[in-house]
Amino acid sequence: MAGGRRGNGLAGVLPIAISAALFLYFLAMIPDVAASGALVIHWQWVPSLDIALSWRLDGLSLTFALLISGIGTLVMLYSNSYLRGHPQYARFALFLTSFMLAMLGLVLSDNLIALFVFWELTTITSYLLIGFGHETPKGRRSALQALFVTGAGALAMLAGLILLGRAAGSFELSDILRMGPEIRAHEHYTAILILVLAGAFTKSAQVPFHFWLPNAMAAPTPVSAFLHSATMVKAGVYLMARLHPTLSGTDAWLWSLTIAGAVTAVYASFKALSQTDLKQALAYTTLMALGTLTLFLGQQSGYAITAFATFLIVHSLYKAALFLVVGCIDHATGTREAEVLGGLARAMPITAAAAALSALSMAGFPPFLGFIGKELKYAGALAVASEPMFVAGAVLLSNALMLAVAGVVAFRPFWRRNEQPLPRAPHEAPWPMLAGPVILAILGALFGLWPDLLQTTLVDRTVQAVTGGDLEAKELKLWAGVNMPLILSIATFVLGLLLYAVHRPLRRGLQAFFARMISLDGRWDGFLDAVKGLSAWQTRTIQNGRLQSYLTITFAVVLVTLGGTMLARQVWPAAPEVGEVRWSHIAIVLLIIGGTLLAAFTRSRITAVAGLGVVGIGVAMVFIVFGAPDVAITQLLVETLVVVLVAVAMLRLPFLDRKGESDWRPGHLLLGTALGATVTAILLAVLETPLDRRLTDFFETASWPEAFGRNVVNVILVDFRALDTFGEIAVVVIAALAAYALLRTTAGRRP
Amino acid sequence: MIQNDIAILAPEIALSVYAMVALLAAVYTTKDRMAPLLVWTTSALFVVLAAWIGLTGRGTQVAFEGMFVSDAFARFAKVTVLLSAAAVLVMSEKYMEKRGLLRFEYPLLIALAVVGMMVMVSAGDLMVLYMGLELQSLSLYVVAALRRDSIKSTEAGLKYFVLGALSSGLLLYGCSLVYGFAGTTLFGGIIAAAGDGHTPLGLLFGLVFVTAGLAFKVSAAPFHMWTPDVYEGSPTPVTAFFATAPKVAAMALFARVVHDAFGGVVGDWQQIVALLAVASMFLGAVAAIGQRDIKRLMAYSSINHMGFALMGLAAGTAFGVQAMLVYMAIYVTMNIGTFAFILSMERDGVPVVRIDALNMYSKTHPARALAVLVLMFSMAGVPPLVGFFGKFYVFNAAIDAGMLWLAACGAVASAIAAFYYLRIVYYMYFGEEGEALDTGGNPILWGFLMVSAAAMVLGVINLFGVEGAAAAAAATLVN
Repeated sequence: MAGGRRGNGLAGVLPIAISAALFLYFLAMIPDVAASGALVIHWQWVPSLDIALSWRLDGLSLTFALLISGIGTLVMLYSNSYLRGHPQYARFALFLTSFMLAMLGLVLSDNLIALFVFWELTTITSYLLIGFGHETPKGRRSALQALFVTGAGALAMLAGLILLGRAAGSFELSDILRMGPEIRAHEHYTAILILVLAGAFTKSAQVPFHFWLPNAMAAPTPVSAFLHSATMVKAGVYLMARLHPTLSGTDAWLWSLTIAGAVTAVYASFKALSQTDLKQALAYTTLMALGTLTLFLGQQSGYAITAFATFLIVHSLYKAALFLVVGCIDHATGTREAEVLGGLARAMPITAAAAALSALSMAGFPPFLGFIGKELKYAGALAVASEPMFVAGAVLLSNALMLAVAGVVAFRPFWRRNEQPLPRAPHEAPWPMLAGPVILAILGALFGLWPDLLQTTLVDRTVQAVTGGDLEAKELKLWAGVNMPLILSIATFVLGLLLYAVHRPLRRGLQAFFARMISLDGRWDGFLDAVKGLSAWQTRTIQNGRLQSYLTITFAVVLVTLGGTMLARQVWPAAPEVGEVRWSHIAIVLLIIGGTLLAAFTRSRITAVAGLGVVGIGVAMVFIVFGAPDVAITQLLVETLVVVLVAVAMLRLPFLDRKGESDWRPGHLLLGTALGATVTAILLAVLETPLDRRLTDFFETASWPEAFGRNVVNVILVDFRALDTFGEIAVVVIAALAAYALLRTTAGRRP
Repeated sequence: MIQNDIAILAPEIALSVYAMVALLAAVYTTKDRMAPLLVWTTSALFVVLAAWIGLTGRGTQVAFEGMFVSDAFARFAKVTVLLSAAAVLVMSEKYMEKRGLLRFEYPLLIALAVVGMMVMVSAGDLMVLYMGLELQSLSLYVVAALRRDSIKSTEAGLKYFVLGALSSGLLLYGCSLVYGFAGTTLFGGIIAAAGDGHTPLGLLFGLVFVTAGLAFKVSAAPFHMWTPDVYEGSPTPVTAFFATAPKVAAMALFARVVHDAFGGVVGDWQQIVALLAVASMFLGAVAAIGQRDIKRLMAYSSINHMGFALMGLAAGTAFGVQAMLVYMAIYVTMNIGTFAFILSMERDGVPVVRIDALNMYSKTHPARALAVLVLMFSMAGVPPLVGFFGKFYVFNAAIDAGMLWLAACGAVASAIAAFYYLRIVYYMYFGEEGEALDTGGNPILWGFLMVSAAAMVLGVINLFGVEGAAAAAAATLVN
């Protein structure tokens, strides 16, 4: 091979061998699938969650599997040469192969959860592949963006899939596909649809979630060709097609897919024409294709679904080829700018030929497969039940624009006169890089000439799988007579060539227009900054390291919880029954209030402790007045100990400089008052319901017969709960000992 | 009679006696020189007890007239607590020794905390619950402030203590209200008093206070404020411990209280637990994004994970409890591996906790970087790693219980949370070249990291049979 650099060794060859073997295997499966419709293999995985590794091979999954492994083989071959001698090629090959296997798992799974697992695996491997060019900040940003947009969509989809599985009573597609009417009538149908489409639309880059895909083109070209045109982005389309028999047929399905698809197709076509970077232009045409596929999946007619199946194959063939061609151009000349490139046909004749064949298929000229695809698209659009003109108009406009883009991408760089010097002198690419574009381009022509080849092997069975066997596929024909689709086709050519002729001024106009449009891509950075800002804000305000604010927040939360419970339960405090009020009662209450105010408003810590002590003693006096002297004594002892211990501890603390703080803290005052009032109200309400009096009754009746005492309190203390009393005494003694130790060791010292 | 009770409590008693004897022995003999030996004997004892409990336990046994329950649920939680505590102890030995922190009190305080946790998960009575909880908490307050010469560590201990005391106060207030209206502190009695359709107000507000107190212990938002400060301030091995065993014990206790004592009034606590779950998931996810310190990041990560575990609990069903237990088992395994890595992060012998120190780590240590990548993806709940199954379980439980909104919130929160796990991966693989990080030198940490990462991959096959045990455990709790 040209150049003295080392080859990639086993890491280069092994992936090619794996994907080629898989491709051959799937090729050999064609007769079986054509004969039987669907093959299902079942392995248990996590039975309690109804997750199984079961595989399903029908027309739809076989078509995808062939595209994935076939284009995979060509891309592996291509990248082995494209990234020849790259120091991290082994890693690249590993990611790419893992991606391919995950993608195959996705389209072959018969279990929804296994499908989701593979879905996420494609997300992760694509993250690693997009980020492979991580030297640039743009590459890193794109990788992250792609991951988040598709990842978030996938999680929504997971919720939808779980709901779907619950509604169907099984996570097996084989069961779910049979339950269409039940699911559509299910109370959760709308939720299922929204959540599943959230996943499919983000993955397949439908407007307004489209912005990540063009950015993801920062990846190396073979990755773009493989992931972002032929396979991964079609996963969303696959899912919609897969669930078509179960979910389609409702107005919600019809309109969400039709509108999203049509808007995406038209928007992306204009956007494609506004690009000067060939790869970016191709990225937007991919978007257009995804929109078109979604559009047709919204429909029910046989034409629409046949158009879907055909266009799926057509698009993969020509788009992968063109991406690889652009890679060759980039590789050979060092640029992808449409306005710089020119006159490459002389230096790169084979590339030019492959590009021309693919571009003709993309533009929809006969006798290529693209033409048949386009005819079917028009037939499908006209068969739309409710708004055929809207759909046909969207398809016509996007097809005409596609023709113009095909000219810009695959025709001009090769055939127009060279006006500007190129960064490098162009040369023909090595054969492994040419194999892909050439084979794919020839296939496009071959299938165009002999459409039966495709019809019997793949299209029929795909249509059957997508429609659930309700509809037959329409015939793929080069010449179907003079009819409406043909007239529309001719209109497309005229309009398309016209657009191509004026594409340069048009491009400037479009660029100016899009520059003024709001894009979610621009909002993306703002969104990330907002999330980071929120995070920083919470650290500043909630997690500021100050115990005081932690306590404030905690009390506030408790207040809200209690208040919320009161409101939810409609709990209102009743006015308490006030018996005879004596002077001693009023005195105690005043004492408690005074202690509280003292603790709250003093500046001295010792005074605050003393104030709290006064409150405690007041409470003890309440116990005495209402006939519980034992409790009162315990309370008094504990209160005294607490005051002493806290005071001693505080004596050891240094004085704090509190100049900066204000004494007047209305927030705290309000919070404290509100919490106190709420707890009081709750207690008043709670005491409305009678307490459990079983114990009181027991002691009253049992005190004389069992313990020979008439003073119930005394009996409880020394008899029924003697052990408790003993424990209380022990606690008080231990606390007193600790207080003594503290006093002894800290006498006279203060830092 | 009493022999029977004691036989049921034998593992707890054995561990307590061991801790006290070892404490006296160490005080009267060699003190800190005995510490390495104590670390190993303590964790060996943990493993032995775990095997004893896990292999010999059968059926449901009740001691002290229902105050202490040994059932499949308690056994599941105890085995998880014991094994994770053993792992963290062994992991911390070299780290603590290197920094002069390996005091003989450390393994013994951990042992006492574990006794507290074992009592917590077996509690059948509010008093026993409180006893276990305080034994655990008091030991942990001291351990958090183990590094007495560091302001951060002592501050962490103090904050933990003050907020913990406040939460205990709330809990006790709730307990007294419950006792006043149920006339008993036994869970069996409470469920009888609360279970007749209409909850008395006293019980209801008691439940609110008890829930608030327990939310503190599982560090669920908005009662989470202590977590980041304590995680950051404590010595890293202590942080690793905080992130594992006590979380399992507190979650199990939470489940026990709401199901054993208030299982008849699911509607009364379901919404509160669901709100705690949502708040924790979102706060943990959003707040972690701004963190540069990996210990603080792990604190928010644990808050986030507690939110998911609470989601299982909020379902209020046996399947929900099973989901919660599976989630906790997976969470603990992931955290042990991650902390094994964090413990090994150092530069010139000084521990490093900044995330950006991981820049291009994959270049110097490809195998370790891959292990951390697996753990981070698993934490983020990315399939097919084991972490995904934990999330899948709780989502399923929530949807099963008709709480679709909760599952949807969970999906959004886990998308946000993925951000910071992936940022670690991003630094390791795509970061800018920086000063190299030294993580070698300790085969024990390496082993735990690799085993934990391997478990995340291999566990995909059948989750090591944890789900069966969790199902059995959940069945005994909810009926």
